[in-house]
Amino acid sequence: MSFSVSSQITNDVARFFLSGELDASSANAFRTEIEKVAAQKPKQLVLMVKDLAFMASAGLRVLIFAKQKLGVDVPIYIVSPQQPIIDTLQMTGFHHSVHIVNEYPE
Amino acid sequence: MDSKAFAGTLDSLGLIRDYVKAAATMAGLDKKRTYDLCLAVDEIATNIILYGYQAAGLSGEVVVRAEIDDQNLTVTLEDEGESFNPLQQTMPTEEDLTRALEDRPIGGLGLFLAIKGIDEFKYERVRGRNRNIFVEHLPPATQTRETAQA
Repeated sequence: MSFSVSSQITNDVARFFLSGELDASSANAFRTEIEKVAAQKPKQLVLMVKDLAFMASAGLRVLIFAKQKLGVDVPIYIVSPQQPIIDTLQMTGFHHSVHIVNEYPE
Repeated sequence: MDSKAFAGTLDSLGLIRDYVKAAATMAGLDKKRTYDLCLAVDEIATNIILYGYQAAGLSGEVVVRAEIDDQNLTVTLEDEGESFNPLQQTMPTEEDLTRALEDRPIGGLGLFLAIKGIDEFKYERVRGRNRNIFVEHLPPATQTRETAQA
């Protein structure tokens, strides 16, 4: 299942729409999208991941990159992740640093 | 299952996961353990491709083999890249895993997910080849009477 990512910024909130399988072959596309959006200095990062079926550590590294690039004051929301991805976030302790939520207000 | 050789490039990762998923389905693993096994194999395959081959200036294949017997599903990855034993690498500590993302080192998580996510992980260096072995114990209810081997 191929990976796709797109983004939009509204009112300083950067939303990313991720679907498919995020591995080392596709992580660069995600990182590039983060870099593009970071230039606009958003105040929140929201990852819509309901349709993301797989995430390897390459995806986690992009989250680290995003946090380091945008700064500690920019919260990261992960919206509607599938259970295996929640498991990965918990196993690696990422759930301490991101907000895992079922919904994010429009 | 018949073994299969994949090019040692990142484009092969999805195909390798497809192979592992098929083997897990054949062995009767549930959805979570199938995912965990796919993740473990993906992480090690990524390491082989990026460091065993590309960073070492080498090229080659990743050969994947799945064997199912009464007790285990065993997936083996073999490559001819640089010698690399994942079990000799430093794993993130409990303290590392509770650090804020902005204070974290960028590496080390892949091997951690690979080794911690499955029942058994073994490494062998045999005749100039790396052999990474992933074992999932089959629950009694789903143990198969048939043995599939390469």
